[in-house]
Amino acid sequence: MIVRDLVVTNKVGIHARPAAMFVKIASRYSCDIFLEKDGEKINGKSIMGLLMLAAGPGSRLRMEANGKDAAQATAEIEDLFQRKFDEE
Amino acid sequence: MPREPITVDRFYHEHTNRLDLKLLAGAAGLNRIIREPTVNRPGLMLAGHTKYFAKKRVQVMGHAEATYLKALPREDRRQRYQLLFGYKLPCVVFCRNLPPDQDCLRAAEAQGIPLFQSSQITMKFINQATLALEMFFAPRGSEMGSMVEVHGIGVLIRGDSGIGKSESILALIERGYSLVSDDMTRVVLVDGRQVVGTSAEVTRNHMEIRGIGIVNVAAMFGARSIRTEKRIDLVVTLKGWDDVKDIDRLGIQEEFQEILGIKIPHMTIPVRPGRDLARLIEVAALQTKLRRLGHNPARELNERLVAQMASHRIA
Repeated sequence: MIVRDLVVTNKVGIHARPAAMFVKIASRYSCDIFLEKDGEKINGKSIMGLLMLAAGPGSRLRMEANGKDAAQATAEIEDLFQRKFDEE
Repeated sequence: MPREPITVDRFYHEHTNRLDLKLLAGAAGLNRIIREPTVNRPGLMLAGHTKYFAKKRVQVMGHAEATYLKALPREDRRQRYQLLFGYKLPCVVFCRNLPPDQDCLRAAEAQGIPLFQSSQITMKFINQATLALEMFFAPRGSEMGSMVEVHGIGVLIRGDSGIGKSESILALIERGYSLVSDDMTRVVLVDGRQVVGTSAEVTRNHMEIRGIGIVNVAAMFGARSIRTEKRIDLVVTLKGWDDVKDIDRLGIQEEFQEILGIKIPHMTIPVRPGRDLARLIEVAALQTKLRRLGHNPARELNERLVAQMASHRIA
């Protein structure tokens, strides 16, 4: 299992569009992906789950990826966060 | 899930109407923390018994306290106020619209302890406030799975993404049942006995359907298609036909899944193209309802079978 701490750095936070981007990437992989904020853990392949986190700018998320393609999935998601969801 | 501290401000704002609270003094102390999910009447303490005083609780003043204080000479009364507000209390509430006097207001303001007034009679206020506080302190968490209400049975539907959860929920809504939450369900343990499911406020009334996007269920299917919260009576797991190996074909054995430490009946439904999942979930809910009433069809049928075989036994 790969665990990563991620920080939301874009201005608005994870609103609908970034959430969709995240889920789109996560769904391409067969590994399980979970995202946790303030003790609440959601399925990284669920749009509603991501929206429910209401992860504003500066929030800290913990991502867990478990499965055979977990490494690639983690790398791609980390990249998405670094690119600030292509928003800035 | 770690709980945010329960501040007086939260108690006040979330229950202003239900408890009919008016803030009279001590607004500076609204960030004080309520540490126990119950209330206390400070009568004994006001009468001089200070050895044991439940100071961490919301202090409720009723007729008893008010008439007692009124009977005291002003200077004594003032001292009692000093004593009361000298403790690190979360807040004080005067019930029945009893008016605290100037000395009382001043003491509350000076110590920064919120002082409220409520129109409710003391007994009713204590009941309501205790319930409200218990909800704040109740264990909570979130569960993966969508929730619907079918014939009064709250069903949490689990299953891997793409198994057909959303489709079956849509079909259930079209049959007149209600959506509680899509994909993620918040749970809270009420009275230490029942698990109540609800959706996060941001995503309430909405669901996501692959290929269509986010749908506002309330706008599309009307008010009866949604429900804010419901006790979870049944967990249904949808599983691929080939992934289900060891299934109880009779349903004699009741299976359970634990949520917040409470055992909730669980059924696994194998999924195969052509199976009407919504219909199956509906029947699972009805089966649960019957079991709640004390019926177990498989066991009853078996008893009949055994009786019949016994009577036809070849002598």
